[in-house]
Amino acid sequence: MAALGTARCLFRSYSRVKNVQKSKQVLVRCSVRTLCSDTQDNALSDNAKPQITDPAVQDILTRITGLDLQKVFRPMKQELKPPSYKLMTDEQLEQATELAREQAKKLLKMPPILPERKPINDVLSEDKILDGMDTAKYVFTDITYNIPHRERFIVVREPSGTLRKATWEERDRLVQTYFPKEGRKLVAPLIFKEENLKMVFSQDRHEDVLDLCLVQFEPDSSEYFRVHAATYEDLDKHNKYELLRSTRHFGGMAWYLLNARRVDGLILDMLKKELFQDAVSLVSLFNMVHPNSESAQEAAREQATGTNLLKIYAQKESQRSGYIELALQAYEQMAANSSAAIPLR
Amino acid sequence: MVHLSSLLLKNYHGGYVVIRLALAGHKQANRPFYRIVAAYNKRARDGKYLEQLGTYDPLPNIYNEKLVSFNLDRIKYWIGCGAHPTKPVAKLLGLAGFFPLHPMTITEAERKRAQTVLTETRTEDLEEVQKEAEV
Repeated sequence: MAALGTARCLFRSYSRVKNVQKSKQVLVRCSVRTLCSDTQDNALSDNAKPQITDPAVQDILTRITGLDLQKVFRPMKQELKPPSYKLMTDEQLEQATELAREQAKKLLKMPPILPERKPINDVLSEDKILDGMDTAKYVFTDITYNIPHRERFIVVREPSGTLRKATWEERDRLVQTYFPKEGRKLVAPLIFKEENLKMVFSQDRHEDVLDLCLVQFEPDSSEYFRVHAATYEDLDKHNKYELLRSTRHFGGMAWYLLNARRVDGLILDMLKKELFQDAVSLVSLFNMVHPNSESAQEAAREQATGTNLLKIYAQKESQRSGYIELALQAYEQMAANSSAAIPLR
Repeated sequence: MVHLSSLLLKNYHGGYVVIRLALAGHKQANRPFYRIVAAYNKRARDGKYLEQLGTYDPLPNIYNEKLVSFNLDRIKYWIGCGAHPTKPVAKLLGLAGFFPLHPMTITEAERKRAQTVLTETRTEDLEEVQKEAEV
């Protein structure tokens, strides 16, 4: 009995220590954040559920994004310059392609995915004596140069006299006023309204919308999530995965669908395009992210790889299992034909 | 020839540094905009200053906000060097919470409340008189 009691005490204190350590980690991370916040490489490794920042997850997502050089470096709206022609040997051409690959990898770096930010409701002081001092609010911003935008002091003094911290929307607006970022507008462009989004999706311009969204909104704002969710839903409904295939948004889309457990469309698309390895890695990622699902447990029991993984997933989890099995059979036939064709020579 | 005027004006006799509001954009009529500035006391209000420490826009914007910005790091430096803030700057800093509240802010708020109460009672009296007149 005493041993049980001590074990319980130990467990509770251990969980408290673990929480303290986690909150300390969070604090340390917040204070080290820099001004240009487009990458975040944190190791949140003491959670049981794999996060998007895990190297294994990132690896799989980059692999399934694909690397189509023609699409990454397709002509984009830039300044008009006459093209430059160079005479190269084959070796130089290979080196140039290698350089292009490196550049493409940099361009395909995935934008950070953070949990949604909680609204700020902090009141610093209530001064009833100042009630009715003015008809307008006073917004005070600290414009010291060397502090990250997340830690800036932005406070609002209401006409009723309360001194409160500014909300996230006010913060974004004021930081943009005093430290303008290129491409960001003070008022969100009208393209992000529901009706306009629908029109843009009908024109197949999901990628442009996502790029604009990345520039305009912070990665953990509710607007960002809303726009991304709408885009991914639309893509899923119409099976237009090809639009995002070799862009930096593919990983984000795959992660969203994984968390919503609706990867069937994506797997079917991959099998149709005969990207077999990608389909296998996607299913293994699914098993990693949802270790309590039936397909994950079955796979762990049988130590399945390759086609078997896909078969298990098709049987246990997917709604469109018929399609997946058909596609698998077709692929196996093709593989058998090609392996049978070789000795015929 | 070395220009002696700037050398002469550098050290004022008994001059000191103040943190005050300087009007900016004086070419536009009826649109004030102030810079919060550390300058020598004897300089012109809009003349040469030592450093700009922030801005103040007295006209409210579409969200009904009056935007004020402070470079708190540098303000702390200048106050450490012995600069005196003027009354409006002290009021603004008090409203921001950086300084304690200025007594004149409180007095003005009380006066405004008294004024609104007075106008309300006057309008009520007027309405009563009108109703009696109709009757």
